[in-house]
Amino acid sequence: MDLLFQFLSNTGYYLADYRNVIMIVIGTVFLYLGTAKKYEPLLLVPIGFGVLVGNVPFFKGFGLGIYESNSVLHYLYFGVTTGLYPSIVFLGLGAMTDFSSLLARPSLMLLGAAAQMGIFFTLLGALGLGFLPKEAASIAIIGGADGPTSIFLTAKLAPHLIGPIAIAAYSYMALIPVIQPPIMRLLTSRKERLIRMPELREVSKKERIIFPGIAVILCCFLAPASIPLLGMFFFGNFLKECGVTERLAQTARTAIIDTATILLGLTVGASTQGDVFLTPKSVGIFVLGAVAFSIATASGVIFAKIMNFFLKEKINPLLGAAGVSAVPGSAREVHLVGQSEDPENFLLMHAMACNSSGVIGSAICAGILWSFMIGL
Amino acid sequence: MYGFHAISTHNGWAMAIAGALIVFSGLVVLSTAISQIHRILLFFENKYAGFRNNNKIQENDEPEEQPESALPTIFPTELDEIALLYSPLIEEIGDTFYLSDLYKIAKENHFPHPHITFTAFRDAKILIPYGDGVFSWEPPKENTVNENE
Repeated sequence: MDLLFQFLSNTGYYLADYRNVIMIVIGTVFLYLGTAKKYEPLLLVPIGFGVLVGNVPFFKGFGLGIYESNSVLHYLYFGVTTGLYPSIVFLGLGAMTDFSSLLARPSLMLLGAAAQMGIFFTLLGALGLGFLPKEAASIAIIGGADGPTSIFLTAKLAPHLIGPIAIAAYSYMALIPVIQPPIMRLLTSRKERLIRMPELREVSKKERIIFPGIAVILCCFLAPASIPLLGMFFFGNFLKECGVTERLAQTARTAIIDTATILLGLTVGASTQGDVFLTPKSVGIFVLGAVAFSIATASGVIFAKIMNFFLKEKINPLLGAAGVSAVPGSAREVHLVGQSEDPENFLLMHAMACNSSGVIGSAICAGILWSFMIGL
Repeated sequence: MYGFHAISTHNGWAMAIAGALIVFSGLVVLSTAISQIHRILLFFENKYAGFRNNNKIQENDEPEEQPESALPTIFPTELDEIALLYSPLIEEIGDTFYLSDLYKIAKENHFPHPHITFTAFRDAKILIPYGDGVFSWEPPKENTVNENE
């Protein structure tokens, strides 16, 4: 009988507290959004399931939990805390990205820069709310709307916040169709939304091959701390474009990025153990993340309107919203909002140019913030 | 510590302004650099082409006579007439072809604005896409013009 009681007192049913239950509900919502609503399923499904796995109550000291040094989950989590998985994800992203539209219209890169303003506004907000500088920088990077970049910077600056920051970043990425369109509509007139963009010029193979080389030098010389992200990103792109390593590029954009995404999502989800995750700080991070993402969208749109004062050939200000680096979600959303006004207005290729420059911009921001925090 | 006092104490204003300026200037420099790539490539390609031509002239003493262009002096504006001019090129590259091959051969033969022309051909169903950049040629029927007239 004692053995039975001892066994029962070791089960999850006995050890569970309300925080585990709340997190399991959140994980289930993620799984529902990913599978039924198809909101970023490749991200939300591994994270959602990770939340379920991470919130099964267990016996401390058995080497089961993600925060216990000898557990399997802890070893898998090593890729997150060292910034390994985000770098690998960036390799795959580079091998997927076609920079033709950006090369055809380089001025659109400015919109990618403008959308990064959300990061710096949020840095101020987080400091004002009492977060320490390293925590504030990690929260601010959510404004870049780039999950791997957020995880990478947080792993370097405030590893104890990886769970809430990663969940916030990926949640807002999945909620792009809900968050961005109202901001775009609020800040633009119908006349502006109807602006058509001219056809892009054809970009030669040589240009596409040269671009990653130039970009890695210019960006990484400016912010060397972004080497782990941008170095891998442009390397992946060079594999794709050089024409002699198609097999490597193919592996990078399929098997490698998929493996990294599965392990990243699952372990980040599992890191949200109720007792660690459900704190007032997490609530603050979620609020600030929403503010960061909204300001990033708004600053891109507003900057596009400012650019129009100086341009003879006006650009559609909706494109500014694609300056956040949520690829390709925000570009798709810009295209859809444009088409809701004029079904024959095709903004997707131009929006992808802003989107890919947003990826570069947010990785540079991560490098800048990391270098600001050295010595603090 | 909260509010503006916390921001000032942690040097927040300076970090935000400097960070924003650095990322902006970085992307401005990058966009300026990449906007020049095609110009630089064009410059070197022209220089290389010039160097090759000079060598040829020296080898042959006399410059080769340029073949006369088969294109009319005044290029037609009607799509059907332009399609007729393209017909010899299509015969040269076959019934189904990559659009890039047609573009290349059109450029070599000095056809004006091949991109815009191809778009118009596609809209008029003269160029029929088969996917993966492969197209076929459906010449415009002469009698359709007459019937319309």
